[in-house]
Amino acid sequence: MLRVENLTKVFPNGTEALKNVSFTVKDGEFLAVIGLSGSGKSTLLRCINRLIDPTEGKIYWNDIDITAAEGADLRHIRRNIGMIFQQFNLVKRSSVMTNVLSGRLGYAHPMWSLLGRFSAEDKQRALAALDRVGIPDKAYTRADQLSGGQQQRVGIARALMQEPELMLADEPVASLDPVLAHSILQYLELLNQQDGITVLCSLHFLDLVHRYATRVIGLKDGELVFEGIPAELTPERFKEVYGEEAQMVTVGGQNAN
Amino acid sequence: MLEPNETPNSPDTRAFLAAIISLIIPGGGQFWLGNRRRGLTLFSLLIVLALLVGWNGSAVLAVPVIVLWLWNVWDAFQLGRGRSERYIVPFLLGAIIIYGVAYSVTEVNPRRLVTGWPAMQPYVRALFQPELFEYPTEDTVGTTPILIPCIDPLPAPSRLGSTDPILTTVEPCAAVGDTITIVGSGYEPNFEGEVFWTNPIGDVQRVIEDGRQATFSADADGNFTLDIKVPQAVPLSQLPAAGETQTHIIRAEQRVPYGSPEPTQTLRLVMEKIGETIALAFLATVLGAIFALPLSFLAARNLMSGNRVTRAVYTVVRGALNLIRSIETLIWAIVFAVWVGLGPFGGMLALMFHTIAALGKLYSEAIEGIDPGPIEAIKASGARWPQIVRYAVMPQILPTFTSYTLYRWDINVRMSTVIGLVSDAGLGFLVIQWIRLNEFRAMATAILAIIVVIMTLDYASSWLRKRIIEGVPQRKEQSTLRKVVVRGGIIFAFVVAFIWSWNIAEIDMTELVKGAPDGLALVQSFAIPDVIDFPTEQLSVTATLPVPCDSAESPSPSLSGPRVVLEPACGEPGEKLVITGYELPPDTTVSVRWVLYDDAFLRVKSNCCDTDADGNLRLETFIHPLLEVNPEEGVSNPGKVAIVWEEVTGGPQVSETVQRVLQLALVTLLMALLATTIGTAIAVPLSFLAARNIMGDTRIGLIAYNVLRTSFNIFRAIEPMILVLICAAWVGAGPFAGMLALALNNIPNLGKLFSEAIEEIDNGPVEAVTSTGATKLQALLFAIVPQIVPQFMAYILYQWDINIRMSTVIGFVGGGGIGQQFRLWVGLNQYAAAGTAIWAIVIMVWSMDYISAKARERLV
Repeated sequence: MLRVENLTKVFPNGTEALKNVSFTVKDGEFLAVIGLSGSGKSTLLRCINRLIDPTEGKIYWNDIDITAAEGADLRHIRRNIGMIFQQFNLVKRSSVMTNVLSGRLGYAHPMWSLLGRFSAEDKQRALAALDRVGIPDKAYTRADQLSGGQQQRVGIARALMQEPELMLADEPVASLDPVLAHSILQYLELLNQQDGITVLCSLHFLDLVHRYATRVIGLKDGELVFEGIPAELTPERFKEVYGEEAQMVTVGGQNAN
Repeated sequence: MLEPNETPNSPDTRAFLAAIISLIIPGGGQFWLGNRRRGLTLFSLLIVLALLVGWNGSAVLAVPVIVLWLWNVWDAFQLGRGRSERYIVPFLLGAIIIYGVAYSVTEVNPRRLVTGWPAMQPYVRALFQPELFEYPTEDTVGTTPILIPCIDPLPAPSRLGSTDPILTTVEPCAAVGDTITIVGSGYEPNFEGEVFWTNPIGDVQRVIEDGRQATFSADADGNFTLDIKVPQAVPLSQLPAAGETQTHIIRAEQRVPYGSPEPTQTLRLVMEKIGETIALAFLATVLGAIFALPLSFLAARNLMSGNRVTRAVYTVVRGALNLIRSIETLIWAIVFAVWVGLGPFGGMLALMFHTIAALGKLYSEAIEGIDPGPIEAIKASGARWPQIVRYAVMPQILPTFTSYTLYRWDINVRMSTVIGLVSDAGLGFLVIQWIRLNEFRAMATAILAIIVVIMTLDYASSWLRKRIIEGVPQRKEQSTLRKVVVRGGIIFAFVVAFIWSWNIAEIDMTELVKGAPDGLALVQSFAIPDVIDFPTEQLSVTATLPVPCDSAESPSPSLSGPRVVLEPACGEPGEKLVITGYELPPDTTVSVRWVLYDDAFLRVKSNCCDTDADGNLRLETFIHPLLEVNPEEGVSNPGKVAIVWEEVTGGPQVSETVQRVLQLALVTLLMALLATTIGTAIAVPLSFLAARNIMGDTRIGLIAYNVLRTSFNIFRAIEPMILVLICAAWVGAGPFAGMLALALNNIPNLGKLFSEAIEEIDNGPVEAVTSTGATKLQALLFAIVPQIVPQFMAYILYQWDINIRMSTVIGFVGGGGIGQQFRLWVGLNQYAAAGTAIWAIVIMVWSMDYISAKARERLV
């Protein structure tokens, strides 16, 4: 269980990205985080694996205080939390295999990994992960030779190498075509349902939220303005989150308002 | 002053007033009329141009300044009437003045291109006759004695002649100037030989007949007969006494080639130095990269923007890198030659030093350009810091780093071919040494070697760079054995090359340590330039010293004021003497001198002496013999002892060094300007002839294209530093030679870049214009020129940046400008003055970089 309590983040330039946000996520949930660009979604996700240090508040993961962890403890926590990114964040000049294996670094021997050595077991695991996301034949291709959707699948495979219990997805489909968006989210859904991995995913499209999420939270200007199941996200509530001028848009491109 | 808006005057009156103001203060009228920018521009333009002409002192160039002044009045008048003149006139006048001054201060003299040609010919001719191979020779040497002069009775010669081959003289003896006949047999048949004369002391000289060396030609049986004239072979002091004679030896020798050709001594030396050149460049690049790597992380803004301390480190490291980089490698070579002595080690250090700065900057820019995403992703997976560097940072920067390093290696090879011009390292040293010895063919061999080395490495490194940037296509996972063998081979080759280079470079760390006090003192005096000095006056006190005592009256010593007292007041040469100075300036270095009867002087003691805190000085010595009064030899004035010192007579002033440096910096700048302009002017038309798409597939077109492109590639490989050596022989050392060398180097450089730019133009507009029925020239003007102008401008600016840097060092080998003065000052150990020159160079390079960066921004 993930418990976020009174989380506040103020950046050095004075921007208040998160204001006193509290919520909990039960194990096995698929939680969608919605909100405008700049509403604090990315900051929230990055606070959970401490890529960003929160200013105030606590985050508990299975009753361990993430916000207090340092050094090896922090790395062990991170190891258990997978993350995928909007821009995929692959090393473009390295091969797919190297990128996937780099997800295992939290487990790998510190010295051998610096020399580029991974155990045969890890390599096996990497091939299995690639097989799982449907691109087993791309293992020795350079990452920049792949299409966007394929790159994001490499991103998922990399996160899978961590054997995560929690998966953070920061707008994983925002850089992809609508058709590819579904295929990527289906993989996340699969992980959520088959492996029981808890997923926190920031999303833009309401129909995707309705289709995949089990619960939704909405952020506006850093404040939690909505919490509930997708069905509760009516057009009125939607406008509370996105503002009066917002219109619900679906991945299909139709106007849902 | 009147406000134009408040005046009820008609426009004509306003115009008139504006004109009058502009007549008094250039640009003033325009300013008053509200066009402030125009006014200020005109004002500063005129002031700068007037100062330039005033400095140059040319009366002819004052004319355009006056015209510009008048134009400024006219412009104010027109502006007052509501019209605006175009800037074309001041632009043209400004250009005339700047180029006029440039022409004058760089001492351009086209006539010397013609008159100097004969001096240049041996260089050019030699370039087509390098010393590459020769047959080994076997010498057939015959000798015979002859007695000079004839005496009666004639003794037997003190030495015997040779027996195989046999050489004899018809006359057993002769006098200087006589013609004698020598007869030889047993020589190589049908082959020529030369005749030498050895005097009794053993000095050898050539036997000259009709101004040329006497040669003989053996007939089919190996015999010959030759008449020669007896030379004056003995110095006058060694001539035999009357009635005596001396044995001289005549030698007739053939050098008969045999076997197969072998490399000449020259070629062998050149090959050795090729190795040294490459080794120095290799070592400097590797070591430079190793040092640059950690520095580059400190100089990367994105890594160092964390807090105030890291930002300060960033600023300091970046600043230092920029400073070192803007000083040319050749200047560093001179500095390190002082530090560790002449030789490969100093050359390598200079190359390495500049490499660290250049690579440090390029590397840090590469680091600044990396994508932060992968770092975030790998951090999120729980990786440690070194793992993040290994998996997220290194893969992103390694290819770029490798490519930059190779690029630098390219530059270093070029530099190490010329570093020998100032230090004993690499091929450049051979070139300058052989030029000094007038061994043109040997020099040509070295120059050709430079061209070959540079061209080969150019091709090799551009091939490698391309391969690295594009990446090696990765197929299946390669077999481990193959990978190990390939990697092992590369590492082994690298280690071997490194050790080999290390040995060649004569690395001697003790030199670095031993020279450190000198080096640091040098750096210190460089760092503190001669910016101000004080006007001084030379003051002295003297006392007469009669030698011997009765030769003159001893002076009665004065009792107050600055004075010198001698004890004893007179004496004999070699007697002990105590010189005491009183009431001199305290703690001052003074010079104590013997003043001879003719007012010439000698120092009593070198590196002498400092007065104490009370201004007193005591020196014990012995009376110098030259002070002796000797009427028989015309010496009647008694000598004197003088104490001389310099006293500051005024307040601080801008030092003469600064004035000299400023002048030379201006000369250097104008040299670069003129060279860039001339280079461009010639390169532009040539580049069209060297562009494949312009010349088409006609036969003449292909020939022109191939000939021009090939010559561009060859001449590009000749560094300006080498060209200037030849140009100095052609037109005489000085700024003209330097300018000429730069221009000659720019033509092929720009020609190649320009023609490649022309080849890359979009053919669409050309087709469109041609389809309207336009001629080829019209198509050129309307479809091609607009496309290439920005590209050309960018290349010209690039060349201009390089020229600025080159022009600062071209004076080292006869190219004039600030480099010449710098080297002179270093040679005279005037390091503070040399430091001033370096600061001027840094400021010049930085400000010109800034200007061209601004110009580039406007271009894009």
